[in-house]
Amino acid sequence: MIKFEHVTVQFAGLTAVQDLSFEVPEGAIYSLIGPNGAGKTTVFNCISRFYTPVRGRILFGGEDLLTWKPHQVIRKGIARSFQNVELFSKMSVLDNLRIGLHSTYKRNIFSIALNLPSVRRTEAELVRRVHEVMELVGIRQLAHEFPANLPFGYQKMVDIARALIARPKLLLLDEPVAGMNQTETNQIGELIRRIKREMNITVLLIEHNMSMVMNISDFITVMNFGQKIAEGRPEEIQQHPEVIRAYLGEVSSDAQVV
Amino acid sequence: MMQVIVSGLIVGCVYGLAALGLVLIYKTTDVINFAHGEIGMVSTYVSFFLLSAAGLHYGLSFFLALIFSALLGMLIYLVVMKRVQQAPHLHQMVVTLALFLILNGAAGFIWGHHPTDYPEAIKGAPLKIGGVYVTPHEIFVACLTLILMGAFFVLFRYTRIGLAMQAASQDGTAARLMGIKVTQVNMMSWMIGAVLGAVAGVLTAPLVLLSLNMMMTILIMAFAAAVLGGFVSLVGAVVGGLIIGVFENLISFYIAPELKLVYTFALIVLMLYIRPQGILGGGKKAVKKV
Amino acid sequence: MKLDGKKLGTLLIIAVCAAYPYLTGQSGYYMTLFVTTCVFAMAAMALNLLTGYGGQISVGHAGFLMAGGYTVGLLGKAGFPLWIALPAAGVVAALFSLIIGLAAVRLTGHFLAVTTLGFGLSVPLIALKWESLTNGYSGIAVLRPDMLSSDLNMFYFVLLVTILTAWILSNIVKSGMGRAFVAIRESEVAAQASGIPVAFYKTVMFAISAFFTGIAGGINALWIGFISPSDYSIVHSLFLLAIIVVGGLASIPGAIIGAVIYSVIPHFTDSFIGITNMVIGVAVILIIFYRSEGLVSIFRGVRLGGAKTARLEAEGTPPKLGGVGKHDQV
Repeated sequence: MIKFEHVTVQFAGLTAVQDLSFEVPEGAIYSLIGPNGAGKTTVFNCISRFYTPVRGRILFGGEDLLTWKPHQVIRKGIARSFQNVELFSKMSVLDNLRIGLHSTYKRNIFSIALNLPSVRRTEAELVRRVHEVMELVGIRQLAHEFPANLPFGYQKMVDIARALIARPKLLLLDEPVAGMNQTETNQIGELIRRIKREMNITVLLIEHNMSMVMNISDFITVMNFGQKIAEGRPEEIQQHPEVIRAYLGEVSSDAQVV
Repeated sequence: MMQVIVSGLIVGCVYGLAALGLVLIYKTTDVINFAHGEIGMVSTYVSFFLLSAAGLHYGLSFFLALIFSALLGMLIYLVVMKRVQQAPHLHQMVVTLALFLILNGAAGFIWGHHPTDYPEAIKGAPLKIGGVYVTPHEIFVACLTLILMGAFFVLFRYTRIGLAMQAASQDGTAARLMGIKVTQVNMMSWMIGAVLGAVAGVLTAPLVLLSLNMMMTILIMAFAAAVLGGFVSLVGAVVGGLIIGVFENLISFYIAPELKLVYTFALIVLMLYIRPQGILGGGKKAVKKV
Repeated sequence: MKLDGKKLGTLLIIAVCAAYPYLTGQSGYYMTLFVTTCVFAMAAMALNLLTGYGGQISVGHAGFLMAGGYTVGLLGKAGFPLWIALPAAGVVAALFSLIIGLAAVRLTGHFLAVTTLGFGLSVPLIALKWESLTNGYSGIAVLRPDMLSSDLNMFYFVLLVTILTAWILSNIVKSGMGRAFVAIRESEVAAQASGIPVAFYKTVMFAISAFFTGIAGGINALWIGFISPSDYSIVHSLFLLAIIVVGGLASIPGAIIGAVIYSVIPHFTDSFIGITNMVIGVAVILIIFYRSEGLVSIFRGVRLGGAKTARLEAEGTPPKLGGVGKHDQV
């Protein structure tokens, strides 16, 4: 579905991502893991077209993603949630979600200015879709709340709902269960599985919660210092020496267990 | 042509000083002071009052007016700006615009709306130096600018308060954690900024007549200068001022004096569109982390 | 049509406005006061769309007022009827706004403010200098069509245009486009990711805002019968900002409230030069200090209460009565 080919991203001398290549098969749940600063969110930001790699290609369904402008990304079928949530704080959850559908409807300044019936019908349809996705994610009761008043876990759910509402082909989730307790984590894990099964959406996931990652992923790529250090199925990754070293550091032979 | 350039450089000194004040306040408190010009204007009126009504010597009234401006800057910071230090940028900007209205209104109320003559620092016929004519006042302007600039950079680099200002301008939180009283630093910035604005006003008044709107043009020119300098570089602000001074003079001479502001505005737009970091500003703008 | 409190209140206000000429005996002073309020209300609502909703500050909006005024004057002189000249005033102002709009996409906050300031200062200077077109310092007379030659007729025309403007702008801010503007203000990043073409929309915001401001300027020129370079200055641009801040950012009714206040103050202070400016400046600072949502939030107490009650509940305190929109909490 999406393919990175030898992608390198640099910021003023700092190489955030180095020669990264991987491919996400259609319909899979694919996780990107690695220690903090490994370059995972940079990968997402490339897909979102906030950054442009200095080298390499990113192909989505065969098309070169790097020709797109940031606001075109969602129209092409890729939606994302954010590590820091990035909800619109002065709008209700309902409105936040309605914005998520912005790309799906055409609008005409004259119809809007005169509040023509077509505009009112569209608005009603938007509200219906919003309720639909809120039901799916399990946040129906939050419709009129404001993000600032919600606990972080709920904010994340709204963020995910906003990404989902546009019915993307590929869903990027950046640390979707950060700040959630075990119950909520399981809920989101189950939601992601349902997204894959029932909606046929491919999911690309950044996450630090290892049990969830190992549980739901079909494939995993591990990054460290901007480079891919391992790739494969969860079982393979768990045994991989490079991965263990990246997370736990070098194990000294005469280290003492206290 | 040379004459135009030299006169432009002199005017540019004034713009550079004003721009310096703007950028200083922006660097330390992250606020663009739209009332910068008005503070200078009010201070110049005060100086005029001391000169004419109180009959004081030029130098003394100049000096006292600078003290006044410093106090005004301090007052504005303590009463108004401190309270909106953490407010959204829009609110901060609107507050300085409100200050503009207040100062403009107050000056109009106290001193009326008629433009007045303002005397030069040093009277005398223009001297011919190397093929161009320079008036004694212009020489005074250039010298005073150099002195102030020098004093300023010494302050910034070698004194404790100067270092504190540098720190605060780069990272307010870190500075606070290091024990630097950011409030004091900010207040100092406003005071110094105000003084620089007042100097600009007094030096320009002889040329443009003392009036309520005398600093409007200077404000725009100072902005343009600051933009050219990337709005983060103090040296850049001054250099920008010189460039704008020459530019403006060229426009005045070869096109039309009334349109110099329009062309400068066009220059600002062009600059910000093509190279937002200014001629001297370096590096790309920081990308927001998401 | 559901007749709730808000709609009823609006109709009542419109009725009072319609009766106004008769309430004040059609005195020139009071009629002009009302028309000026309408003009500034329109311009303020338009500015609010850009600054309050869209978050793009404009410190030079008076430039659009002037552009609109001159367009109406010049087209009228050239023989065009009002139904062409007035919309043209809006269009010309919108075209002017492209100068800033295109730059606005690259500029944020302070820099945009400075650019708009430069624009606002430049328009009168250009009007002054371009004598062949604008008659320079002397200005040009602006003629009304026969139908509107009586002040009474013109009054109702102004009222009509103001109501229409308020209605259209309300429709825009409540729509998906209005939401997109707020999204851009709140988080450009998330807006892009949601498919909003930020650069394009910023330009559109400026254009729409300039359009209605241009029309307001045209209306004012028609009422006064004259337009000259000294009619609008930076002070007017600052007044417009003051209006929307005092009235309430991101609120159409707020802009109207602010415009009323702005018109009322000079009534008391104009005998002393400069006091008007000072009072308005002080008012703005006080609002920013103590009630930064603007005066309209006094009427919005109910909705504000909703958010506050949610927070109070989260802290364990039972909410005060009257929180509208509260549903059963888990």
